[in-house]
Amino acid sequence: MISRRGLLGSVAASLVLSIVPARIAAAPLAKVRDLGVLRVAVYQDNRPWSWSADGAVKGIDADLARAIAAELGVRADVVAFLAGDDMGDDLRNTVWRGGLLGFQPCDAMMHVPFDHKLQLDNDQVAIVAPYYRESFAAVCGNEQSDCEVPPPQFKGRRLAAEVDSIPDMYLMGGFGGVLRGDVVHFRSGYDAVAAIGQDKADVAVATRAQVEAATHDLANPAIKRRTSPLQAIMSPGWDIGLAVKENSRTLGDAIEAILAKMTADGRLAAMFAQHGVTWRAALAG
Amino acid sequence: MKGKFKNGITGSMASIATLGLLIAAPLQAADGPTAQDLVNDAGSTGDVLTYGMGPQAQRFSPLAKVNADNVKSMVPAFAASLGGEKQRGQESQPLVYDGTIYVTGSYSRLYAFDSHTGEKKWEYDARLPDGIMPCCDVVNRGAAIMGDKVLFATLDAHLVALNRHTGKVVWNKAIADYQAGYSATAAPLIVRNMVITGNSGGEFGAVGAIQARNVDTGELIWERPVIEGHMGMLNGKPNGITGKTNASWQGDLWKTGGGATWLGGTYDPDTNLIFFGTGNPAPWNSHLRPGDNLYTASTLALDPDTGVIKWHYQTTPHDGWDFDGVNEFIPFDATMAGKPMKLGAKADRNGYFYVIDRTNGHLMGASKFVMETTWANGINLKTGRPNFVDANRPGPPNGSEKGTSVFSSPSFLGGKNWMPMAYSKDTGLFYVPSNDWGMDIWNEPIAYKKGAAYLGAGFTIRPVAPDHIGALRAMDPKTGKIVWEYKNKAPLWGGVLTTAGNLVFTGTPEGYLKAFDAKTGTELWKFNTGSGVVGSPITWEQDGEQYVAVMSGWGGAVPLWGGEVAKTFKDISQGGALWVFKLPKS
Repeated sequence: MISRRGLLGSVAASLVLSIVPARIAAAPLAKVRDLGVLRVAVYQDNRPWSWSADGAVKGIDADLARAIAAELGVRADVVAFLAGDDMGDDLRNTVWRGGLLGFQPCDAMMHVPFDHKLQLDNDQVAIVAPYYRESFAAVCGNEQSDCEVPPPQFKGRRLAAEVDSIPDMYLMGGFGGVLRGDVVHFRSGYDAVAAIGQDKADVAVATRAQVEAATHDLANPAIKRRTSPLQAIMSPGWDIGLAVKENSRTLGDAIEAILAKMTADGRLAAMFAQHGVTWRAALAG
Repeated sequence: MKGKFKNGITGSMASIATLGLLIAAPLQAADGPTAQDLVNDAGSTGDVLTYGMGPQAQRFSPLAKVNADNVKSMVPAFAASLGGEKQRGQESQPLVYDGTIYVTGSYSRLYAFDSHTGEKKWEYDARLPDGIMPCCDVVNRGAAIMGDKVLFATLDAHLVALNRHTGKVVWNKAIADYQAGYSATAAPLIVRNMVITGNSGGEFGAVGAIQARNVDTGELIWERPVIEGHMGMLNGKPNGITGKTNASWQGDLWKTGGGATWLGGTYDPDTNLIFFGTGNPAPWNSHLRPGDNLYTASTLALDPDTGVIKWHYQTTPHDGWDFDGVNEFIPFDATMAGKPMKLGAKADRNGYFYVIDRTNGHLMGASKFVMETTWANGINLKTGRPNFVDANRPGPPNGSEKGTSVFSSPSFLGGKNWMPMAYSKDTGLFYVPSNDWGMDIWNEPIAYKKGAAYLGAGFTIRPVAPDHIGALRAMDPKTGKIVWEYKNKAPLWGGVLTTAGNLVFTGTPEGYLKAFDAKTGTELWKFNTGSGVVGSPITWEQDGEQYVAVMSGWGGAVPLWGGEVAKTFKDISQGGALWVFKLPKS
């Protein structure tokens, strides 16, 4: 198991090599306080974590970014950006370099998997403060009376998944491909679950947060959550944290302390609950 | 100076076809080039009006004042910096008209320079939203000109028409939604009164399409999605489905099938067809989408007036290697097996050079133009399909462990990427800017995308030869044989020009514009422009002298990749300048 300090350890090692003077390494938190603003990147169209509605960025990640800024005593500037082909693009564009067309780097980026390899592959950032344990889950509508059957028995039902996601690969490629002709694709896992409420799907596989939030928003008692595991799903789950520049350890430490406090006093779980999601502690830390 | 038909003379389609054979007297209309002038561009030497130096994009000039005997004396006439702090890749091809060189720059800029002195007449900087995060540099490949307008596409997926005298905006239309990740970098194609464009980028699974707009207003005339099952439009009304729904896709995958048409197209006045290449299918892993996945990785021939597909040829059915099929299809005429034929040629990302009957899409020949193609052992001329090497197809995603690594050549950057080849009527040869590189590719057990676990692929691009990656190759389309080759240490990333002076020009990342003997490949001349050359050279005649021009400015997709390949270009500096050459006055 990765410890919370495990990822930071490798960052500290790379810091020694890059010979960053201590006073610069200490500057980011002071800079945020001086400027009075914390600029945080969140994904566009990533409901329930971050999405735009009524001219504002909503969602768990957006709320969390604002709460962190408030704790730091500064204003939050929450910026939604379009996901790139991989996380390396996202971290480069939003955290350590900025966009080629003038997008200013942010102090932090939300929703970064707290993963050792991702950290090693992106040594210009420090991944800190794991705040949730994510995994995949399934739900069924009325037409699929038993949601606990082995997945091949979903054959013939309309199976919803986000296009080009693990649930998509699971349903398209798993079980010898027997379900392939039944998969209907949606732009997001949230939309895939919501499709059950619109009678456009019978079964949906999505992340647990997407399943819980969409089910909560639909408020339809006919929608059943699968309780048994998804056999042979290609991921056991992952921790979600956030990224700061590799020389922003003071800021990273401050954010970790804030999240620890919010976890302890129940505010973090309450923030998740507002979006219908049950908060689960990250395994790391 | 090339002649201009006065407005109104162009008349009916029949008269256009007749006039197409004429080289007109040197008249200069006040209102700029007509549609007929664009059709005649390949034969007119006093200007360059189209991307490709003619609608067929053969990039051949009948000029021979600069030739294999005297090119060694060629010297710069002037250079013009794009200025500002914005550099990066300059992949543009200049246009020349009425004493002005129109050239686009990185970051969606368009410049008008005096073609005698290089003095800047005006500059247009597109105001781009800062939230655009382009996948592959901030390039632009060139403009189009007609009447009083110059037109170009911008990184925020707009098409902009400017007054050619002033640089002021005449119209500016969004052709796609940049907030959904769409972009535009190709030079627009003008046919009659229509400006025709493809699309690029887009959120995962966006569908490729071709659009025709009124050149005077920017209003949409027709749209043709390139994936089967999608409805085309003409004058606001449905105009038939592309292909046959679910003929080569399972389930609803065609709705998000990919096939972006990001490199633009060519036009053949002779058969009245436009040709567009299409990108690779989505999702990336081929095991998730059984079937040929039409019309991805294909060349499409369309009726320019309606957008209806007349024929297709798929270069990589069921692509599993990211072999975009977007490369230019260049119409040419030749005698094959004793029979005069209307043909077309395409050097594909997948490493094969295809010769196709352009009246019906039938394959006439296909041969390797790179050192190694691991994914297929040749193309079956009877069926038109590749002889796939199944062992060298990247495996299905499984998620439990690192998948078996497959060596794939060409790499996904292609035997030839975006950079256009040239065809010489004199030598009968195609000059193909190619690269010999492969990639190790494997499935990653744990990867992430948009903050969620994902099954991605890992890859490393590496050279396949010790002495070079780039290779400019002269291909005989009748035999499929490589007649000569010039090897270059760094990858070649610029376009090619050939002339009746028995010359072939192309640029190198090392900074040189080079000239070769078109028959033998002997290097005859080179000049270092101070930064990498990844643009497409042109030539024209002015005041009785022949000029050659090219953009200098290193960038594009190559510098995004590291490893062994990066060693060949790590010391190359960025730039941004137009260079113009001619022979010294005797």
